[in-house]
Order: sequence, then structure tokens, then C-alpha cells
Amino acid sequence: MQIEITHRPGNSAARVSLQAGETITAEGGAMIAMSGHMQVETTTHKRDKGSILGALKRLVTGESLFLNHFTPNGGPGEVIFGTALTGDMMQFQMGSGPALLVQAGSYVASAPSVDMDMSWQGFGKALFSGESMFWIKLTGTGPVLINSFGAIYPIQVNGEYIVDTGHIVAFEESLNFEITKAGKSWMASFLGGEGMVCKFIGQGTVWCQSHNAGSFGTALGPILKPH
Amino acid sequence: MQITINRNGENHGPYALEQVREMVANGTLQPTDLAHYEGASDWVPLDQVPGVADSGAPPVLEAAAPAATPAPTATQETFVPTGEREHEFRVECKPDFAYLTVQIPANQTLKVEASSMATMSTNMEMKTKMKGGLSRFLGGESLFINEFTAQGGPGEIGIAPGSPGDLEHCYLDGTKEIFLQSSAYVGSGMGVEVDSKWQGFKGFFSGEGLFLLRCTGRGDLWFNTYGAIIEIPVDGNYVVDTGHVVAFTGGLQYGVESVGGLKSLFLSGEGLVCRFSGQGNVWIQTRHPTAFAQWTFPFRPTKNN
Repeated sequence: MQIEITHRPGNSAARVSLQAGETITAEGGAMIAMSGHMQVETTTHKRDKGSILGALKRLVTGESLFLNHFTPNGGPGEVIFGTALTGDMMQFQMGSGPALLVQAGSYVASAPSVDMDMSWQGFGKALFSGESMFWIKLTGTGPVLINSFGAIYPIQVNGEYIVDTGHIVAFEESLNFEITKAGKSWMASFLGGEGMVCKFIGQGTVWCQSHNAGSFGTALGPILKPH
Repeated sequence: MQITINRNGENHGPYALEQVREMVANGTLQPTDLAHYEGASDWVPLDQVPGVADSGAPPVLEAAAPAATPAPTATQETFVPTGEREHEFRVECKPDFAYLTVQIPANQTLKVEASSMATMSTNMEMKTKMKGGLSRFLGGESLFINEFTAQGGPGEIGIAPGSPGDLEHCYLDGTKEIFLQSSAYVGSGMGVEVDSKWQGFKGFFSGEGLFLLRCTGRGDLWFNTYGAIIEIPVDGNYVVDTGHVVAFTGGLQYGVESVGGLKSLFLSGEGLVCRFSGQGNVWIQTRHPTAFAQWTFPFRPTKNN
């Protein structure tokens, strides 16, 4: 499997070349083009482990409900993935390192050797903040594709670091975190428009996006037609 | 392959590979000039552009080009950019915000998609034409084409397509045929005929406006994308999400279908796809306006009754 990310950073797309029999699993709706002999299988969860429960969890996490599995039939093939919003993509190689926690909307695709767990909801307590706080936990070995709204940049945390919840794309599980307020009091935090922030503690990498999709949506909202 | 040259912060071109090699040979261009070619993710020194340095061996594109005087065929298999052009033009701010400027000789006319003219010389005169007719309105699509004529002397027009993205140029030599997704049309020379081709049920059903314009004749044709543009040489069979189809060469067969089985049609989130078969080129865009619009829906205010 070979992954090439083109047209970075604004209009990035990922071209995945597969050998015959190799499979890549992607979020529903991510495929923009593919070889004609690509077999597509739709499941509610990781292949062979489909369950209604898994589908419900995915619905709750704000991800589209289904996963598509692409396998070229008979010879090598390719599939190209894109995203709805303008922004960058990143390829992450899972290996012996810690598990990766990915914001639900940032997951694009992964190799079948990477395990996805959508039941992990360490951030569930932050639900009332109004920002989508659901995460996919990735473990195992192999490549993972992640997208961001705007540019993507890593921050090496050694000690403590604060990131606005809307700007987190992914982080390593070696980090502990706590959801906290940006200001001195909750009132000040909400009036200041910062709401909830995430304080990371320990050692590891956090990948951030330059723009907050929720803020962009909120800015567009008033000029859209009411429904 | 079109190559844009950047020297001292100023863009020149785009030029065809052959022109660039000529200019390198006669010293107009330096191997250290920055160049951007189609498909490249970044600017590179000119001598790193495939086909520029190794002037001994002809590049793949030219090797595949038809003989100097090709017999006109009804179906042109593969579109090979030859660098031929009818008008002098330049494309700036590629690839995210491509902006086209065309030079128009005295008393000649250029067809431009309505409302995409951004700047022009004062001697340009405009006439409005509508393409399509009833079927286009039924599909919620309409294409108005304005004709800009340079009165009395040469003129210039700056064209900014509605969507931020990339822009592609094709020269139609009378034998070629290109189908455009109607919103991709930017402009064309007067020798290019732009026909709307009713897609009937199969295009309508997709709900994604697969309304096609058939471009034939002789002259320049420009089209644009929302997001980046990817050119895919098809040899056999290729599948593209209907919302990401921008253009394709006439020799290709195409049909709209769902991915996978019936289950996938409703559950996969991929909607309908266009399957191309045969030999030719397909241009796709990396973003999709409908997907973006749908993303904004949850942010809409609620109506007060």
C-alpha cells in the first residue's frame, strides 16, 4: 500500500495505490475516484465485526454511519480520497508507539491492520461544551489518513500544554488530558468565547488544525437560510 | 504538460514542455528558474521538471502524441496537450485561486461564462447569450455565456471563476471532443461549439447536477474546478464520484451507477458514481460544492413561527 498526498495544504487529496488483494478502509463519502476494478464493501464497523451497536456508536460520534472497504480485484488499483472542507491531510504510521486518538471528523482512512475503537469516550464528560468531543481510538500497525480544517501542525508536549478543543485533530495516548476552562472562572471562559480547552499532561504529540470548523460554521450560520 | 515559470516572484506562462525546452536551449530560461507543472505539488527548479533536463530523450507525453498530420477521427482517444493555443493567455495564482487573463486581438470575440469577468480593457464590448434551454432550468442549472469583443483595437480580459480552485486549458483542434460538467465552463474561443447535452434520467437521478456540455470545434477552451484538479489517464475502466467529475474526453464511454451493491447505494455515503471505460482522460476535482453546502446545514438558524 502506498499513500501519496497531493495538492497540499488547501485542496489536499490522498491517492492510495493498492496491490491486488490489499484493502483500505475509509469513512463513508471520502472516496472521490477509483480504479474500475475496485471492489467496495460497506459495513457498519470494522470488516467481519459489523454490529448494529457499532453503527450506533458511529452515529453518535458524528461520523457517517458506515465504513467502506476498497479492494482491487485481480490486479493493482488505486483509490483517491478527498474531504468536504478545505484543508490538509496527514499520513500517520502506526507502529510500536502509543495508540492514537483521532477527532471523529478528522478520520479519513486506515489499513485493515489498524484497529478502530469507537466506544472510547474519554471526552464524553465534555459533551455539554457544545463542541463535538468524540474520538476514535486507533491501535495496531499500519498507515492512517487524517484530515484537518486548514493547516495541520504537530506540538510536542513535554509537561503541560493547552489546546482549544476545536483545534485538536489527534493526539498520542501517552498524554493525559483534562478538560478545563480557558479563563479564571467558567463565566469568563464562556463570555470570552473560548469555552472549553484541553490541558495535555505528560509526553507525546498533539496534532492541531489551524482553523476551528465549529467557529467557521457558526460564522456562516446567520447568513444561511433558516430551516 | 503545461509549465509555469517563476522568476523574481513573477509568473510567466504557462508554456508547453516543448516551448520550455526551446527556451532553455536558447538561454531565455535558466535551469535554476522556479517551475510549476501540472500535477506537481510544489515549485521546483526547472531542471527537475521531468522532460526538461534530459532533452535527448523525448518525454512520455510527446512520445504518445499523434503524428504531425493526424487523420481526423470521429473519436479522439487520448487528449495530449500540445501547447497549441489560439489566444495569448496566462493563469496566475494557481493552484488554489487560479485566475485567467486572455489577450484578445482587435475586433475578435471571446466567449466567457456569465458573471466571471473580473477586469477588462475599456474597449471590450459585451453581449449576453444563453445556452441550454428548458432542460437546464428543470435541472436547476443554467449557463449564460457572454461574448466579449475587442472594439477597434486589441483588448484584455481577466476572468475569475466562481469557485476557488484550479483552471485547465485545452486546445481543440477540430478532431477532439471534450465533455464538461456545466459549472466547470470558464470560456472558449469563437471556433469552439458549446452544446448542452441532456443527460435524461441517469444524470438527473444522481441529484448532483451531472449536466454536460459538449465542446467541439477549433480553438481554446478553459475550465475550472472547486479544489485542486487531478488529471487521470483512463485505459480500461475508472470510477469517479459524480460530484467530482469535471471534464472528460469524448472517446470515453460513461454510465452512472452506484458503488457496490444496493446496500452500498444507500449506506455507503458515496451516492452515485460515474464509470468511464475506454481510453481517454478524465479531470476530477478534489472538493465538491454540494458536500461543503451539506456540511453547513447544521449551522443554519431555525425558522421562528
